[in-house]
Amino acid sequence: MTARRVRYARVSRRQFLGRAGMFAGAVALGPGVLAACGGDDDDGTSSGGTGSGGTGGGGGGGADKLVISNWPLYIDPTEGDTLGTVDLFTEETGIDLTYTEDYNDNNEFFAKIQPDLAAGTPIAQDIIVPTFWLVARLIDLGWVEPLPLDQIPNAANLVPSLQKPSWDPDGEFSLPWQSGITGIAYNREAAGRELTSVGDLLDPEYKGKIGLLSEMRDTVGLFMLYTGEDPSTATFESAQPAFDVIDKAVQDEQIRQFTGNDYQTPLSNGDFVACVGWSGDVAQLALEDPNLEFIIPEEGGMRWSDCMVVPTGAANVAAAAEWMDYVYNPVTAARIAAYVGYISPVSGVQEELAKNPDTAALADSPLLFPDDATLENTFVFANLPDSEEAQFDEQFAEISKS
Amino acid sequence: MAEVGDRGQRRGTWQPWALLSPGVLWLALFFLVPMLTLVRVSLSEQANRFTQEFEFSWRFSNYTDAVSDYAGIFGRSFLYAGLATVLCILIGYPLAYVIAFRGGRYRNLLLGLVVVPFFTSYLIRTIAWRTLLADEGPVVGVLEALHLTSFLDTLGLMENGRLLATWVAVVGGLTYNFLPFMILPIYVALEKIDVRLVDAAKDLYSSAPRAFVKVTLPLSLPGVFAGTLLTFIPASGDFVNAQYLGGPRQTMIGNIVQNLFLVQNRYTSAAAISFILMIIITIAVLVYARFLGTDELAA
Repeated sequence: MTARRVRYARVSRRQFLGRAGMFAGAVALGPGVLAACGGDDDDGTSSGGTGSGGTGGGGGGGADKLVISNWPLYIDPTEGDTLGTVDLFTEETGIDLTYTEDYNDNNEFFAKIQPDLAAGTPIAQDIIVPTFWLVARLIDLGWVEPLPLDQIPNAANLVPSLQKPSWDPDGEFSLPWQSGITGIAYNREAAGRELTSVGDLLDPEYKGKIGLLSEMRDTVGLFMLYTGEDPSTATFESAQPAFDVIDKAVQDEQIRQFTGNDYQTPLSNGDFVACVGWSGDVAQLALEDPNLEFIIPEEGGMRWSDCMVVPTGAANVAAAAEWMDYVYNPVTAARIAAYVGYISPVSGVQEELAKNPDTAALADSPLLFPDDATLENTFVFANLPDSEEAQFDEQFAEISKS
Repeated sequence: MAEVGDRGQRRGTWQPWALLSPGVLWLALFFLVPMLTLVRVSLSEQANRFTQEFEFSWRFSNYTDAVSDYAGIFGRSFLYAGLATVLCILIGYPLAYVIAFRGGRYRNLLLGLVVVPFFTSYLIRTIAWRTLLADEGPVVGVLEALHLTSFLDTLGLMENGRLLATWVAVVGGLTYNFLPFMILPIYVALEKIDVRLVDAAKDLYSSAPRAFVKVTLPLSLPGVFAGTLLTFIPASGDFVNAQYLGGPRQTMIGNIVQNLFLVQNRYTSAAAISFILMIIITIAVLVYARFLGTDELAA
């Protein structure tokens, strides 16, 4: 899930929505394409305040201020006269919200905030949106505040399946922002057949044309399913067969590259026949190139969530609670879901989308609302104790950087 | 006379220091202090990889482990950087020569063109190469049309008919990205040469190639030396080219450091590797300086 949204061109997003019947009208190609090229690794493109400087310190601490760092293109923007969620929130609450899209990569962001939080210095942000496994780590380290759930009545709208999740067993530190599925993305024309399984990635016919994600849990999780192990109860031992399979594939030059968010270009220009990818991304790409397809392999797929948390010492907890309450209103959540195309954690979103004829098509999308059978065949990677996580990280680095 | 001398001497005592102090302070603050921290961390034990608590314990095993784990990748990094540096000299020297001696009134324009790529971000330039070298991109397309792919495959210059995710792409990217750092110092050295020296050599019945070897080349060596440092050192530690143009088998030491620091949070190992890299480069530069014998720089 490293930096998964960075390379989203706004173009594709707009096209997606256009097909879904939300927006009509032409698409400005230029800026979107540039954004798609430029976003990569070039963190901090939107304003600073990442706390890397070390003295960020709460941004003044006024009760009517709020600083949020989220992944790029992960919320509906203001377009013309139609206000996006950020501006609507500011207008309705009068809170001075600084919403930056400078969260590009879990590990990188963690490395940035680590010196401050380890020293007990508050960072600039009141809310950050790490992926579930990092949420677990932050809770473990005591670097996040319990949420004032009494001030977030809409938190009751959290879908049952995400209440008290494995990474936050008491459900008191985090609220999911969006969820998604990791599976296989492939180019049907280049593959010459339908791909159905993780095993297809090892087909010698595709030698040197396969991409894997540098996000350890996604790649190793899928290959654990391939070797018949359950990633939701993964241990270093039970992952060994999966590591061996990946290692052999790298040595055999089957694997061309390990990529982060930048897997989309090689997939669309034919450098990859198939790769591990994320549901929302590929569905968007498929609208531009009908040959591209996303599948949940027959062995199963991986499921993840990015969650809102409040870092320890945040200056504006009340305002943060107000924001969470706001985005857990089904109307707001539906607007965000319609834009980002991932799985919303808020119940009532489907009904809300169905109400409006413009968004009714989205209410039936298996992408936004996967059925129970699909969910049953997807797995959340186990919560790893630190020492074991270190072993996983080390072995994965050894394999992917030989 | 004596007064003047005195004043000169007195000025001499404090003025150089005053002029040096910004640089010295800068170096002390942003080079010396971090380096000492780096050495300290590299010899420490990290109790928990998520906290910044390091226990200094003369832990030399950080170094021995790094060498035994990554010796191959160190070797590969210096090989790639060395190849890129040689290519930069081969491409950059003639170019600088032409601009300096045949550029005429277009000199500044040509120099400007050398620098123009810098107007685009380093990262974007590298990612743009992915489009150029893509399997169905223009470069591979031309090679296929010329039926050269299988020949290049046998030479080891391509892998299964592709250029991306091969060592050729990584070395090519390094060469491309660092070429201006080679051209500019060589140009400056060549430009300083008094052409009458070459004329004199010819007057003394030297042929043009001989005049080049005996006069121009030795006088331009400081430029080559400076260009080599500016190319080889950053290229050895580079991780962008290997990341975007290479595959898992083209990993360079910069990628390892990046991964250890930002993904695995193993600061002690990362610090040890960084320091080893620094030591090797320093030794390499000293040896090189000795052999190339540019007195000003080597002294």
